[in-house]
Amino acid sequence: MIGILDAKQATRASGTNPAVATHGAIALLNLEAQIEGLEPNATSSRLGVEERVWLIDLLALRGSILSRIADYERALELSRLLVRDATTEAAAFLARARTRAVFHRFRDALDDLDAAERLAADTESVDRERAAVFQGLGRYQEACAIREKDVRRCPSFESLGALTTLCAERGDTERAERLHAESVRRYRGVSPLPLATLDFQLGVMWMHEGQLDRAQDHLIAARRYVPAYAPAQGHFAEVEAELSHFDLAIALLIPLAATSDDPDYAAQLARICADAGYPDDARYWRERAAARYAELIAVHPEAFADHAAEFWLAAGGDPRKALPLARMNLEIRKTPRACSLLSRAIAADEAAGAWCVPQPNRRNPRLQQQTKGACNDSTGD
Amino acid sequence: MSDHFSGPRALADPAADISDVFAFPAPGNPQRLVLAMDVFGKAGPSAVFSNAVIYRFRLRRASIAASGPGGSSFAVGTEEITFDFTFDVPDGANDTARPPQRGHCLTPGGETVSFYTNDENGGQGPGVHVFAGQRSEPFFLDVRMIEKTVATRQIAFKKVGSDTLYGTNVLSIVLEVEWAKLLDGWPMFAIVCETLRAGPQPTRIERVGRPEIKNVSLSFKMFDQVNRDLEIRDLYNSEDAFALTPDYVGAYRARMNANLSFWDSLDGKIDWPLDEAANHPLTKLLLADFLVVDASKPFHETSYFEIEQAMLVGRPHATAGGRWLNEDVMDFIFTLYINGGNGPRISDGIDAPIVWSSTVFPYLAPPNLPKVQSS
Repeated sequence: MIGILDAKQATRASGTNPAVATHGAIALLNLEAQIEGLEPNATSSRLGVEERVWLIDLLALRGSILSRIADYERALELSRLLVRDATTEAAAFLARARTRAVFHRFRDALDDLDAAERLAADTESVDRERAAVFQGLGRYQEACAIREKDVRRCPSFESLGALTTLCAERGDTERAERLHAESVRRYRGVSPLPLATLDFQLGVMWMHEGQLDRAQDHLIAARRYVPAYAPAQGHFAEVEAELSHFDLAIALLIPLAATSDDPDYAAQLARICADAGYPDDARYWRERAAARYAELIAVHPEAFADHAAEFWLAAGGDPRKALPLARMNLEIRKTPRACSLLSRAIAADEAAGAWCVPQPNRRNPRLQQQTKGACNDSTGD
Repeated sequence: MSDHFSGPRALADPAADISDVFAFPAPGNPQRLVLAMDVFGKAGPSAVFSNAVIYRFRLRRASIAASGPGGSSFAVGTEEITFDFTFDVPDGANDTARPPQRGHCLTPGGETVSFYTNDENGGQGPGVHVFAGQRSEPFFLDVRMIEKTVATRQIAFKKVGSDTLYGTNVLSIVLEVEWAKLLDGWPMFAIVCETLRAGPQPTRIERVGRPEIKNVSLSFKMFDQVNRDLEIRDLYNSEDAFALTPDYVGAYRARMNANLSFWDSLDGKIDWPLDEAANHPLTKLLLADFLVVDASKPFHETSYFEIEQAMLVGRPHATAGGRWLNEDVMDFIFTLYINGGNGPRISDGIDAPIVWSSTVFPYLAPPNLPKVQSS
């Protein structure tokens, strides 16, 4: 498997000029070492607020690179304790806002940002966090206004990179690519993690655009920076499956699905195994994903409503379970993708109903209207 | 959830973050000079050096240009020698914690001394002995009480403080050289350590010479009437320690004057009257931000700033200066800044690290077990 990828990396990414960065394996060892160095005193007075915030951000970073929901949960818990212990510290509220946003608790996150502002947090820091929440909510114009102002004020790797991810999510591909190049040009650090995450975002953007070659290029670049970058590997596998390279896709996904506490990999694996003609494997991974989604929906419904809905619409094969989740997701975040998900869920639910229990009048005009109205309210695009 | 990401945070690589620099004649062997650079404060057991960073020791010839309370200064030569340390990607880095990592020291003569990290015997070449690896943090201080002192503008140190770094570890690089073979045998050196991003055009990430210049002496903004909003440390880090950019020296000077005056005010009396240009008497010496060590003088356990103090009063220095690993440098700095030695020693209530460094190579103590830190 690795040999195949290495050969592909050598040919596909040969035209790019990556920034000088620490090897991804070292970066992950050192991320681990930073967390190890701070965790023993995570809630003690020996760590100041700044270091406790740092630990929270490091855990969230590791969660995002290795797809570890347990890390996100630990970050959320530590941010809760930090706010409890440091009620007058704006940085504590900013940290909790970030972790709440990760779990799609956007209203709570905005409340924390308001609290930070009342505690005299630096306006630009609060605005940057607000932009991230607005982006999650699909309030793209508001997010864009903040990000563009930040770039005008200080065109750094960070500000340009943040605008890159926003443009990528909106599907503004040309601008996202241009900003990405400019962002990397201004990078002065040696950590490969921010570079890998930017390439990953662009890979996902091109996947959504259906341009698989370009998606591959960026996902390969992300994995070249950080070979163990789980979401990049998972999405790369999805691209390979789209190209009917099922065995490679399965080989890439199995280690992720077997070890990650994020059920997305098992869900993808179930779908690809079914497409590849391995029904027993598909059933195994489907059951595993279903069980894990049920656990996560019970604890973090906002965060996993969209992914669970996608699962039930695809490999899970139960559109009726998808519909309430898709509806919940749209209530939380009125993004174009949330609208699309609900539309698909409604259509699938109707089709399933028509097939299982023939009911000619099953179409629900009120629900259709509800979806349309919600999407029209969206400020995104 | 794996798709949801608000934007990249430029997380600095901790392995490029210098925490301390030390320079001292080898105890028991005055022909040899020892230099040490610590990076990656609070390193967990997995920590390794970056393969994309050059860890550089820079040495120049130093001499005393002027003495006396008003204008003590060093003259630093233009000829420079460097020792560059680089590290490979560890074997099996994807599989194991603390994998062996190969390091290389490029000497001024162009020779390369290779070694494995955490091997206490290190690597040896002609006149050079090197070590790199994880060691016990030799530095000790009570950060919380420093913050409280600044916030309340009153000395907040307790009789028994709480060591913020108790039981933690760092990544250390130790270089022992026969100093007489460097710079034509001149014994007094100006020394600064740097981390640089490797590549065709190495870029400076950080530089450190004296202890607590960037944090205790430069970081606080609120006393600075000139640049109250400026986070000055990133700019300062990017500078060549031996040739500050003239455009920015005024900003560094203003910040240093303001913060040193704050420290001086804490005991209710002025021990460091400003000159007619409103400069603090220590500002010029401290902005010469490199360790000065006189290898022709004997090793002494408390020699940091002794050369500079001798210069300020116009007497010959008696020790090698530089900085020894076990010195309680925070107590020294607080006493120097607050009462100039004209009063009792100001202690932060922390008088020792978890374990003392040794007088034999590689000097720094072995790393602490992870569980010690939380005890």
